[in-house]
Amino acid sequence: MTTFVFCSYILNYYFYYCGYFVTVIFLLVRFSRLTAMDNEMCSLKRQLEEKEKEIAALRSKLAARVEKASELKIQDKVTTLNPLTAKPSLSNEDIMRYSRQLLLPDLGVQGQLKLSQTSVLVVGCGGLGCPLAQYLAAAGIGRLGLLDYDEVELSNLHRQVLHGEENQGQAKALSAARSVIRLNSGVECIPYHLQLSPENALQLVQQYDIVADCSDNVPTRYLVNDACVLSGKPLVSASALRMEGQLTVYNYHGGPCYRCLYPVPPPPETVTNCSDGGVLGVVPGIMGCLQALEVLKIASGQGTACGQQLLLFDAQNARFRSIRLRPKQPSCVVCGEIPSVTRLVDYEAFCGSAATDKCRKLNLLSKDQRITVQDYKSIRDSTGPHILLDVRPLVEVEICSLPSSLNIPLSSLEEKKSKDIQLLQEKISQVKQQMAGDQQAPVYVVCKLGNDSQKAVQLLEKMSGEEVDGITVKDISGGLMAWAKMIDPSFPRY
Amino acid sequence: MNTVSVIYFGQSAELTGLKGEELVSVPTPISSRELWELLQQRHPRLAVLRGHVVLAVAQQYIPIAEQLVVLRDGDEVAVVPPLSGG
Repeated sequence: MTTFVFCSYILNYYFYYCGYFVTVIFLLVRFSRLTAMDNEMCSLKRQLEEKEKEIAALRSKLAARVEKASELKIQDKVTTLNPLTAKPSLSNEDIMRYSRQLLLPDLGVQGQLKLSQTSVLVVGCGGLGCPLAQYLAAAGIGRLGLLDYDEVELSNLHRQVLHGEENQGQAKALSAARSVIRLNSGVECIPYHLQLSPENALQLVQQYDIVADCSDNVPTRYLVNDACVLSGKPLVSASALRMEGQLTVYNYHGGPCYRCLYPVPPPPETVTNCSDGGVLGVVPGIMGCLQALEVLKIASGQGTACGQQLLLFDAQNARFRSIRLRPKQPSCVVCGEIPSVTRLVDYEAFCGSAATDKCRKLNLLSKDQRITVQDYKSIRDSTGPHILLDVRPLVEVEICSLPSSLNIPLSSLEEKKSKDIQLLQEKISQVKQQMAGDQQAPVYVVCKLGNDSQKAVQLLEKMSGEEVDGITVKDISGGLMAWAKMIDPSFPRY
Repeated sequence: MNTVSVIYFGQSAELTGLKGEELVSVPTPISSRELWELLQQRHPRLAVLRGHVVLAVAQQYIPIAEQLVVLRDGDEVAVVPPLSGG
C-alpha cells in the first residue's frame, strides 16, 4: 500500500512537470514565430517604402516626359530658333546612356559633346527620315528639325518605322517627333508640318548645321541642294527605290553638289516613285541608317568619306559599290565659279513635275475618248459584248483585278509583243462574232489610276485597223482605284 | 578589243530589261560618248536617260564627252540614273 501511494505521488509530479515543460516549449515556439513575423513585417515595410520611392521617381519621370511631349508644338511655318546652348560637360546620366559609344576612341567625350551641340534638319519623315531621326536621337544629337507636309497612311507603315497604326491620319512630322522624344527626351525636336518651298527653305536651312535629304521627289532634291549651297551647309543625301539605294554627301569640303552631278533634271516620265515602283521597307531603312552614320561622323568632327563618292546599294545581290566622283564643277550653275542661280527658283517648273511622290494625273485624251467608272458599270450590267483590257504589270494584276479582264501590260503593247498582239486579236474576233453587223469591237482600257490606260488608248488607236482589226477604244477614267471608291468598296486599294 | 560587263541600275535596268550584260569586243581606247552610244544602239530606249545619268568605268565617274577611256578586260561599266524615292 505504501509502495502504491509512493508510486502515484511520483507519477503525479512526473505528469505535473511534463505539462509544465510542454507549456514552456509551446510558449517558446509561439514567441519565436512572433519574432519571425515581426522581422518579416519590418522587411515588407522597408520594401514597400523602397517601391513607393521608385513609383514616385517613375511618376516624376513620366510627368517630365508628358511635359516634354506636350511641349512638342507643331510648326506650320518657319520660326527663328534660339541657338543651341553649349554643354560644358556630360552629366552622369549622359555618361551612362552613351557609355557604349563614349568608349569608341573615334567619338569619345569630345565627339559626344559635339553631337549635343549639332542641329540637323531632316527633310522628309518617311522611309529614310524615320530610321535616320531614330539613330540621330538615340546617339544624342542636340536638335532635330523634322519636316514633312504629309500625314501617316496605312501603306507607309512597312517602311516608316517611327509611325504606328494609331498615328494614321496624324501629321508625320508630329508622329515622328513623339516617337523620337520617347526614345530620348534629351533631344530637342521641332516638327514642321509644311511643304519645303523656295520661300521658306533658306530661312529654315540656315538655322541648322547639317541637312539630310530624305525627300521623295526630284523638285525637292534640287531645292534642298540649292538651299544648302546658298547657305554653305553639308547635305547628306540618300534615296531608295525597289531594291536599290544611293548615298552621297554633297557640298562638303570641295566635293560636288547635286547639280554638279545632275545639271539637268530627268524628264518626269522617266522618274519612278515608291507608290508606282514599290520598295522593300528595309532598303530605305538601310539607306537611312547609312545616312545617319555620315551625319554622326560629320557632326562629331570625324568627317565623311562620302563627300566625293556615290555609294550604291544593290539589295538583291547584297552588294555595295562606290563610285569615285569628280570634285565640284567650276561650271556648275549654283556652286561653280560664276553661278547663275544665286537665289532659289521655281523647282516644280524647272523639273516639270510636282514636289510630291503622289501620282500625277495625266490628261492625254479628249473627253469622248474616256468614260467614267459609273458608265463602265452600266456597260458591265448591260452585258454588252466588249473587251476590258487591263494594262497593269502582272505583279499588280496578281494583287487584284476585275473578273473577265484581259491583261496585257502597257510595256508589252509598247514593244508590240507578237504573242500579246495575237491574244488581243483573238479576243477582238470573239467579240465581233457576238456583235451584229460590221460594228467595231469596243475596248475599255483600265489601269490603277487612269494614267497608263490613256497611253494605251493612244497606242491602240494607232494599231486599230493595222496590227489588229478596227476597234473603238476608251480609257476608264480614274482606273481601278476610282472603281473601288465609287462602285465597289470591297475592291482592294493599294 | 576587250570584254566589259555592264551593270544597269534603276530606270536603266527597266529600260533595257537587264540587270547586267557582257559586252565583247569593245574597242579601246574609246570616247565616253562613243561608249554611251554603243549602249544606246543596243538598247534604244536608253536614249531618254542621256544627260541625266552617271556613267562609271571601273568605279570611276566618267562624264559623257569626248574624253578617251581606256577599257581593261573585265572592267565594270555602271549606268546609274538618279533615284529620287525615299
